[in-house]
Amino acid sequence: MNVTDQFVLLLPSLPLASALLTHLSSGPMGRSVSRISVACSTVSFLIAAILLGLVLSDQEVATVTVGDSWGSLIFDPLSVLMGLLIAGISLLVRIYSVRYMAEEDGYGRFFVLLDLMTAALLIMVAAADLVTLLVSWHLIGVLLYFLLGQDTRSKSAYRYGFWTFITYRFGDLPLVLAAAVLFHTFHTWSLPEIFAALAANPDTTTYFDLPVSEVVGALIAMSAFARSAQFLLHTWLPYTMDGPTPVSALMHAGIVNAGGFLINRFAPVFAYTDNVLHWVFIVGVFTAVIGSVLMLSQHDIKKSLGYSTMGQMGFMIMECGVGAFSLAIFHLIAHGLFKGTLFLGAGGIIGEARHNDGVPKDELYTFIVERRPARNRQPWLLMAAITLAIPVAVLLLSHLLVAPNLFQKQGAIILLFFGWVTGAQLLFATYNMRSENPWRLVTLIVFSFTVVVIGYTLISHAFDVFLYPDPDFGTKLYRAAGIEFSWFVILVVFASAVIVLGWLRAYYTERSHRGKWRSPGHWWRNFYALVWREFHILDIYTGLTRGLLSASARVNVWLRWG
Amino acid sequence: MTALGLLLIGIFLPLFPFSMAFNALLERVTQPLLRSLLLVAWPQVGLWVLSTQTPEIPSWLTVWALATSLLYAFRLAAMREIGRWTGFLATSAWALLWLPTYAGIPPSQLWTFAAGFSLPLVFLSLLAQMLERHFGAAYTGLYGGLARRMPRFAGVLVISVLAATATPIFPTFFAMLHALIVSQPVPAVVLTGIWLIWSWAAARLLQGLIVGPAEPSPELDLPVAATWGYAAGLAGLVIAGLILTGSRL
Repeated sequence: MNVTDQFVLLLPSLPLASALLTHLSSGPMGRSVSRISVACSTVSFLIAAILLGLVLSDQEVATVTVGDSWGSLIFDPLSVLMGLLIAGISLLVRIYSVRYMAEEDGYGRFFVLLDLMTAALLIMVAAADLVTLLVSWHLIGVLLYFLLGQDTRSKSAYRYGFWTFITYRFGDLPLVLAAAVLFHTFHTWSLPEIFAALAANPDTTTYFDLPVSEVVGALIAMSAFARSAQFLLHTWLPYTMDGPTPVSALMHAGIVNAGGFLINRFAPVFAYTDNVLHWVFIVGVFTAVIGSVLMLSQHDIKKSLGYSTMGQMGFMIMECGVGAFSLAIFHLIAHGLFKGTLFLGAGGIIGEARHNDGVPKDELYTFIVERRPARNRQPWLLMAAITLAIPVAVLLLSHLLVAPNLFQKQGAIILLFFGWVTGAQLLFATYNMRSENPWRLVTLIVFSFTVVVIGYTLISHAFDVFLYPDPDFGTKLYRAAGIEFSWFVILVVFASAVIVLGWLRAYYTERSHRGKWRSPGHWWRNFYALVWREFHILDIYTGLTRGLLSASARVNVWLRWG
Repeated sequence: MTALGLLLIGIFLPLFPFSMAFNALLERVTQPLLRSLLLVAWPQVGLWVLSTQTPEIPSWLTVWALATSLLYAFRLAAMREIGRWTGFLATSAWALLWLPTYAGIPPSQLWTFAAGFSLPLVFLSLLAQMLERHFGAAYTGLYGGLARRMPRFAGVLVISVLAATATPIFPTFFAMLHALIVSQPVPAVVLTGIWLIWSWAAARLLQGLIVGPAEPSPELDLPVAATWGYAAGLAGLVIAGLILTGSRL
């Protein structure tokens, strides 16, 4: 076993050892027991950084095995990158928890659970066989349930923790079935062996003569949907705010992203699918839209944050659906860091804002907080033209600089649309904003947008090269996500028309109805009520659960409890 | 396979309605050792009788076994009395032993799986009797707050329930995985459904027992020595499971 192998094994072993030591020492050491966890976590982070350095220095992909048929870890770009993210966020969460949890009961238990969760996450991202993956995948749900229920007096914390647990368990099952199908077909648990066998014979079939890649791809996608809170499996996410803040940070920054990781891990299966990625795209888009709509309609800031994560997860899954697998990984890392900062910093900011909100009373304040739009505006048609033209030009140029074969990838074009809409939204905001020098504002926004887009494009390209260095494989993924060219052109033309007409109408309406308030209509109010009640999905689930429990009790009475 | 043999196996590797015999017996046996013996020995007797019969098992028997397992898993969800909960889970789990048997795995190789299902239930049964001694009844949702009142007891209880409901890396997890890979697609989907209901029932059981406000009562809690005993037992279960069931995947 070489040094790299030892590091690969040491990475998840350290938090396991820390959990054991913390548990045994929590009595004699009291609150200072957290030092063990922080120290081990720091070493884990350093090891993860060293492993990333080894991958960057072209160290070959390797598998370390400790068992006979399972119990193996892989050393590859994906596992190392995710390992560094997990080790980093876990370290921050631990440092934050040392003081944050000091007044809480079960201090030692909390750190034990955090250590176990970190170990499970590190094993999950490095699992080189299906059994190891299943074990860690399943344990994450169980450990999260107990972390969310850290306050054992709070029935609501456990109630909502249960929603998370049962959704995660529901999501475990497709993965178990996928593992069973793969084992039945290839007679091995080893992921590299399975992927190699599938690449050698992509048309392999399984039960009922179905293509194994389609069946397994669909099951893996379902598992990812549950873990990443996709629509209809999302209800747990906005309601799990009763747990400790560090757990919320860990959950929103790391655990919920596991769906994107799973799809990437099984990329060699998805590369040979025909239809699965289309469904992944549809579910992702739907979740992104619904999550954003629900986020905007909620009065509770915590629920709003939860739905914001749901929207982001939808976008991440959608990226997988268009074949941009590496972009999903970049997205989950960026979102993880952003959301983790938001959760961990929220308490301090709220405390500070009680003394001084620190918000400068400038043009942005007047526009966003006081909702006072500009009195004098530029010609709406000119602004609409700029709104539509500039983002698309910036996006096209930045992508063409990085990837000249961009237009061969349908997925990349779809993502351009999202960038276009976002950029246009930004410019539309300037149309309404009070400003002494509006053209200076527009120029600054265009410049900022250009910097962000070019940065995003360059980083996503770097991720693509790092995670999927074989360009043929990347092309296969895009091809698997693609649809027939004629249909694609029709869809692009239709979407472009909708966007252009939509923005023109938005500008025109804004110009024509300036200062006139109109009462929302009956249908609009009903729609708002429906959204505010979260489409009654929770009510349906609650009713279903009560019905099942009532039926179960009735059967018990009929059978006289025997 | 003779009719008498089939009847005997149907009682010991429980098939509904013969399964009611085991649950009725378990309810009447209150002596802890006898109860534990019953939980350990019952499926082993079934496997032994099965090994003495012609190995061919008709496919309709697996449907019957799955239906029995599903029925008891479903009934588990609303069960609040821990003694009966243990019996129902045992019935649901042992009925699944028919699946690997149907797939051609000799009964002599299944004793570890049966023991893997039984042993956590023995722990659970012993813990339930302790609750009965202290509170007069072992009911979920009746008193709650055990995590604060009796933290050591609550810890052992949580791990025992997880071990019994096929959580990794306990032997029950590997037994379920084994049953899955030898099953055809439809039984496999039903099996995952049963697994999900076990988890649901386990969470309901734990929430009704360990959650809630309560003052610590060290005098009621599990003694330190007994806690170490249970911990050693559960750790032994994990190690034995990894060696005996995990390595057979």
